[in-house]
Amino acid sequence: MVAMTTIQGAGIGLRSQHYTHILTHQPTIPWLEALSDNYLGGGLPLYHLEQIRAQYPITLHGVSLSLGSADPLNMDYLTQLKQLADRIEPVHVSDHLAWVSVNGHYFNDLAPLPYTESVLHYVADRILQVQDFLGRRILIENLSPYLQFRHNSLTEWQFLAALLDEADCYLLLDINNVYVNATNHGFDPLDYLDVLPVDRIKEIHLAGYEEQDQFLFDTHGYPVQPRVWTLYQQALQRFGPVPTLIEWDTDIPSFDVLMAEAQQADTYLCQHHLQN
Amino acid sequence: MSTPPPELRELQRLFYGAISTKDADSIQQLQPQMRSTEHLSFERGLSAYQGSVVGKLSRALEDIYPVCCRLVGVQFFTAMARQYIRRHPSQSPDLGDYGEQLPAFIAQFEPAASLPYLPDVARLEWHWHRIFNSADQPGLDLTALGQVPPERWPELVLQLPDNAVLMTSPYPVHRIWQVNQADAASTETIDLNEGEVNLFLWRDQCETRIDLPNAAEWQLLQAFDSGAPFGEICVQLEHNADIDVTALLPLWVQRGWVTGFTLSRDESP
Repeated sequence: MVAMTTIQGAGIGLRSQHYTHILTHQPTIPWLEALSDNYLGGGLPLYHLEQIRAQYPITLHGVSLSLGSADPLNMDYLTQLKQLADRIEPVHVSDHLAWVSVNGHYFNDLAPLPYTESVLHYVADRILQVQDFLGRRILIENLSPYLQFRHNSLTEWQFLAALLDEADCYLLLDINNVYVNATNHGFDPLDYLDVLPVDRIKEIHLAGYEEQDQFLFDTHGYPVQPRVWTLYQQALQRFGPVPTLIEWDTDIPSFDVLMAEAQQADTYLCQHHLQN
Repeated sequence: MSTPPPELRELQRLFYGAISTKDADSIQQLQPQMRSTEHLSFERGLSAYQGSVVGKLSRALEDIYPVCCRLVGVQFFTAMARQYIRRHPSQSPDLGDYGEQLPAFIAQFEPAASLPYLPDVARLEWHWHRIFNSADQPGLDLTALGQVPPERWPELVLQLPDNAVLMTSPYPVHRIWQVNQADAASTETIDLNEGEVNLFLWRDQCETRIDLPNAAEWQLLQAFDSGAPFGEICVQLEHNADIDVTALLPLWVQRGWVTGFTLSRDESP
């Protein structure tokens, strides 16, 4: 296993359907992103991940840190996550700006936070605790919330920018989520991108949304939509060739479909290199 | 330790109630706290979350119980899952922990009563899922075992793998399970009345297995599973000519069916 501290180019989200394909054909991909939650119990999933890790750099992406929850941090979860990270030696460990549990009940879905100063300090403090525990900086990802709190005193992008600074953490910027939010909640996505600190953005996510009755739904079950590709190019102009990942979570297609999406992202990343 | 802002827990409690349990009071109290936009009204946003949460849990159940789903059809399964989800909120960050009570739920679920074998198929699928995802089992420490003096052998409590399960069903659930795998092309007919089956579910390194022990093996597996000391087991089985413990034991150690031991007297105060 080669120690890796950086990644570049366009990677793909690792899904169990593709273990065999990857191990048999060893496709040319700069890195794969594993969903940490699937490997915490060890067993055969971890066995497969370790085989893949022997050949590819891995980033770990989770959904259950519940960074914004009023409940105490789940130390069992955090301990398992640390064990996994120590074993896999990922390039990055990431989770979301969200909460998934309250009063010990789990939502298993990413719920939004009120964007206020007091919540900002609270979440920043929890991220610092997590980073202390893991012994590394984490990346946090922006959501696509379908409900917003009335008493928000900050916009999501102001909240994020302040949080990255206060918690001294990095950003996993989901371009699809920015586009979905901008459409659903009526703002200019470029206003969002403009306030984000360039040096904190370590990874970009791209995925496909679904058009529902009057609003966009972030299903991660479709190819990246044309308007998201456009916003992605605008993001690259601002932030440079940030390593980019293709995510696909429902109705998972063949690996070749994901490769084609990753190649598209790679084309834009290379164009950016040529222009600069 | 940081304390959450006072309003946060209450907002999250309402949000959870409005979405997971669809509790009318929570919805009513949450609404004034939320902002509607031109494209996304409160009702639409709420229903997007409600659908997403149920969808996630329902898909988790489909992933863990694919054979049950195939036996009753996706529509029936999803409708049943929705009722299950309403009664059993998720208590773990890991979706792989969700659904343990589904076999018991199916047994009580009136519309599924015409498929009496379904709860056992579900039990088999739950065990399979847990064994597949369980941590690796260390092999038996033969050096440590070798240090136990012969006069203490009767006190040995031999242990089956932590992740192994003994399961009995009045139906041939292992065959129902097998012919209903996603990649199975079998048109085989299974006779539900072919008699009770005893199954030993375990993992041989990377391979999750369902084995059918013979009557003698089954009796010995049950004896080990009961945690009785070796001496007691030998006395119990003394008159059973079919069971040759001394022949089976080395075989099981080699196969990975016996993975640990304790000395019973060590445990007593």
